[in-house]
Amino acid sequence: MSIKSILIIALTTITFVAKAQQKFTKVKPTEEDKQTYAWNYEIECAGVGTDGMYLVKVYTISSKSKLDLEQAKKNAVHGVIFKGFPGKDGCKSQKAIATNPNVEYEKNDFFMNFFQDNGKYMKYVSLSNAGQIDAKDTKKVGKEYKIGVIVTVSKDALRKDLEEAGIIRGLNSGF
Amino acid sequence: MKRKILLVITIILLHTQVFSQAKKPRIMIVPSDAWCITKGYYSSFDDQGTKKQIPDYKKAFQNDLDLKLVISKINGIMAEKGFPLISLEQTLKSLESNSAEDAILTSKTGGGITESPIDKLRKTAKADIIMDLSYRVNESGPKKYVSFILAGLDAYSNKEIATATGNGAPSFSVDVPILLEEAVLNHMDNFSNSLQKHFDDLFENGREISIYVKKFDTWSGDLEKEYNGEELGTLIENWMKANTVKGRFSTADATENQMHFDQVRIPLYDASGNAIDARAFTRNLQKFLSAAPFSIVNKLMTKGLGQAVIVLGEK
Repeated sequence: MSIKSILIIALTTITFVAKAQQKFTKVKPTEEDKQTYAWNYEIECAGVGTDGMYLVKVYTISSKSKLDLEQAKKNAVHGVIFKGFPGKDGCKSQKAIATNPNVEYEKNDFFMNFFQDNGKYMKYVSLSNAGQIDAKDTKKVGKEYKIGVIVTVSKDALRKDLEEAGIIRGLNSGF
Repeated sequence: MKRKILLVITIILLHTQVFSQAKKPRIMIVPSDAWCITKGYYSSFDDQGTKKQIPDYKKAFQNDLDLKLVISKINGIMAEKGFPLISLEQTLKSLESNSAEDAILTSKTGGGITESPIDKLRKTAKADIIMDLSYRVNESGPKKYVSFILAGLDAYSNKEIATATGNGAPSFSVDVPILLEEAVLNHMDNFSNSLQKHFDDLFENGREISIYVKKFDTWSGDLEKEYNGEELGTLIENWMKANTVKGRFSTADATENQMHFDQVRIPLYDASGNAIDARAFTRNLQKFLSAAPFSIVNKLMTKGLGQAVIVLGEK
């Protein structure tokens, strides 16, 4: 193999690795991410989840009449971590997993990666009823649409991973 | 050689890690008095003309499978969070067997186990945080739902440090055990969150304990006795100011015979980085009182992590 061929292979490999790294370490939001980081949504309890799960209905608010399901999933995980949600019809309200309200800003780099497209948030959320949207869950509010979808969030796994990453404290920390 | 040095460093680091852990509070779930009495798990006695009812936990555990289910579910959730709980049922059993063993244990010369009334009393106080549990299955027409109260109480300050209350979703057909399981699953996260806030406060402001200073009637001195122009009680308060976290404590009661300090915030670690509790903290006060100019012989007793009593005048 000639030196030229080796150089071409090496350059291609370096470019590929650099691109891959860039994908997983970007910390500044692009124009596409603006929707994500606006966090324009509402979240409420949708029923009793099974052990370790929350069943929530998340309403994404945007100018588009078609729901971006990935955005809805991100909103649900964001809501469980930072907002908590109110109860409804005997379904219990839950507090946010993060007890420190500033943790999103203090750990900005972590959450930028966490919520990027195909980011780690995907591990903890799945659509209920294959993402079917009930007709009464699509509402037009002014110029915007508010569209609700039911999702399941693996809150125990999410809490555990956030504790292990040092983002939140666990009950056992320090003892 | 390098390997040996690395090994030594690792052992030292592990050692430091072990000793930098604060002492873990012991938590126990106890069915509430109201629950026990409503369900008929109690015994009555006549207290100088007043009829009193006290919960019979053993009877409750032997007869109520729903109670065992709820406690087992809560235990499982807490263990998952790295915080296994002490079992009240097992503690009761072990108390019974220990008493039986103590009763038959004799030395070669026929001596028995020494147990003062205060030792017997201590056997019942086991947990630093009590999770007081109540639940009730209600019926609303053809539907059933569960009302649930879980209150975390600090055994020494009696403060409610965590709570989770509310009703479950009404259901037509679901069995009671499933309703109870749902109630536990629905309430435990909020309970853990408030417990977490308590622990965060503990790490920031120190552990809260209470300290009693009393005197034996055989001692000729009292807490108003003066040393270099200051009363003993005042000097003890000065010691508390100097040794508590941010000087935080309250003098709840002070007479010539006794003092009671509550909301005493003690550091979690001593100067060497070792975890301390009420006993370790109050041992320093004991040494202070034993030394000149006081030279007071005194006895130190503790109850769990959070309460210490110093009795002046004798051992």
